[in-house]
Amino acid sequence: MLLGMALLNLAEMSHAADDQRARETVERVARLFSSKSIIATVKMQISNEDGQRTLLMKIWSLGEKTLVRITSPQDEAGTAILKEGSEIWYYLPKSNRTVQVPASMAMNSWMGSDFTIDDLVKETFLTRDYSISTSFVGKRGGVAVAEYTLTPKAEAAVVWGKIILQIRQADAVPTWQGFYDENGQLVRELTFSDYKLMSGKLIPTRLVMRPADKAGAQTTIEYEDIAFDVPISQGTFSLPGLNG
Amino acid sequence: MIGRLLQLAWRNLWRNPRRTFITMAAIAFGYVMLLFVACLMAGLRWQMIENGTCLVMSQIQVHAPGYYPSGSIQKTLGGRQGTDVSAVLTAITADPRVFAAAPRVYGYGLLSASHRSAGVELMGIVPNREPKITILNSQITKGSYLTARMQKGVLIGGKLASHIGIEVGSEVVLLAQAADGSMGNDVYTVVGIFHTGLDAVDRSLVLMSLSSLQELLHLAPARIHEVGIKLNDITRATAVAAALGVQLDKTVPVQVSAWPELAPELASYVQFNRGITFVLFFIFFLLAVIGVMNTMLMAVFERTRELGMLMALGMRPVQVIVLILMEAVALAVASLIVGGTVGVPLLWYLQVHGLDLGGATGEVVSLAGVVVGHLWYGRQDFPAYSQAALGLAATVLASALYPAWRAAHFRPSEAIRKV
Repeated sequence: MLLGMALLNLAEMSHAADDQRARETVERVARLFSSKSIIATVKMQISNEDGQRTLLMKIWSLGEKTLVRITSPQDEAGTAILKEGSEIWYYLPKSNRTVQVPASMAMNSWMGSDFTIDDLVKETFLTRDYSISTSFVGKRGGVAVAEYTLTPKAEAAVVWGKIILQIRQADAVPTWQGFYDENGQLVRELTFSDYKLMSGKLIPTRLVMRPADKAGAQTTIEYEDIAFDVPISQGTFSLPGLNG
Repeated sequence: MIGRLLQLAWRNLWRNPRRTFITMAAIAFGYVMLLFVACLMAGLRWQMIENGTCLVMSQIQVHAPGYYPSGSIQKTLGGRQGTDVSAVLTAITADPRVFAAAPRVYGYGLLSASHRSAGVELMGIVPNREPKITILNSQITKGSYLTARMQKGVLIGGKLASHIGIEVGSEVVLLAQAADGSMGNDVYTVVGIFHTGLDAVDRSLVLMSLSSLQELLHLAPARIHEVGIKLNDITRATAVAAALGVQLDKTVPVQVSAWPELAPELASYVQFNRGITFVLFFIFFLLAVIGVMNTMLMAVFERTRELGMLMALGMRPVQVIVLILMEAVALAVASLIVGGTVGVPLLWYLQVHGLDLGGATGEVVSLAGVVVGHLWYGRQDFPAYSQAALGLAATVLASALYPAWRAAHFRPSEAIRKV
């Protein structure tokens, strides 16, 4: 009897510890691309039934502020997007105008890609908004992985019904992330690869997003360069600074 | 024999002119009433269809298959390669039933002026073609219509203009997801503001020239989303749409839709209107029938004595009936001619000047999502007019036949004694 209770207690404790470890891992993955400040050079390849398009852009991020400036192709070069909290501004070099766009546009496809502007710049609070459980530990495709299922907490204002995150056990880098709707249907999946040590962190430098409802469509993001915790002046994020 | 009877019938009609005129007045009045109702109801139907189609939509639309109603930017006529727009227009206008056709391009975007912006629907039109199929050009209340000279000019709705605080001459930025996925953007000048009375249009439609919208959306000149068509006779829309579909499909895959398909709520309103017209027509017809029957019955019954006399003089009963019917036909025809003659200026007035519903206020009346305006115009509905004429003539004959038949079956001695 006593032994039984002790065992039960032990089981509970180990469960709690497991949860805590899952939480820590997810937290670390979520923080992989967050830092006090970031300067990154990114190549985005969008392919769908309309053809293929490649964008080159530079991203500056400091706290709540993010600036994205497109450098290629030629006719879009100079376009800049500034996000400060929930406010989004576009600088349009062709029109030489700065336009504030409604916050709702942050949820739409960005530049025809399968990413939203929120995907690019919004800090996600996975550990704050979701409860995390370990749903698989073992080998997949010859690699030891762990899979965590994230279900939104009741009070969290999030769009997903469920997120599944798979990491590589050896170094805790993410390998796959699935986004599901309220009915448990896969909406889109993000595949990570090409892990490189950049600015002192091992990060996946290649991210491929595939929407589940559009066959053949996908958007690839490649980090050509990324620097964490580099000094950026506040002036970088000013509206007059947008037209660069 | 028939000739003699005709002569007799004609003389009978003029023997008691007052009676004849009263009967004729009843029939003619009934006819004018029916003409009036038919004309106004047809006018309402026509006005609804006309106003519903001529504002922005047009009567028939040609799209690439699958474009309507979702409206994907990629689904241009002829697919991604586009099509020879002028050849398509030529093929459409070759049909003698087509009055005019105009190409269009659509897109969604963000219109931004200084610190305010709004989501808008963009419509690219050919400025000198579009007015042949829609009347948006006549809805401009400030500024002017699009001209070929002002390539970067846009027309916006009054509600949109006041919402984001712009006026004629203001510069606006349009931002739209282009066909290649990039962010199309450019600066435009507001050249005119329109007020259509339709909230959705006045709040969100932005009109610009076809070529500048193609440029904004990175669409090649050969790529258009739609051809709008106006016919000489809108009642043929469904048939012409089907014929054009077959004809155009030979060169480029198309889906041709007539207005009942494009505006189902308008089509169901027209059905509803036909139902109401039928009921109204029936009520007015009953009223007319009662009046005509009453006069006819009285007119024949009071002649029982006279008819008895004719039979006493040797006229056979069937001849009496034929005589009365001849009188009735003559009476009906004459009355309908009189009614029609009185009706012509009335119907003309309804069609040209209309009934003023709004009165002095000049308020715009809209019904089932269509601006009707405060004037209710009539419209000639000849099938209804002829049905009314035939119906009334039949009533006259039927209501003459019964008393004639009765009179013919009295014995002359009894008939003579009847008062």
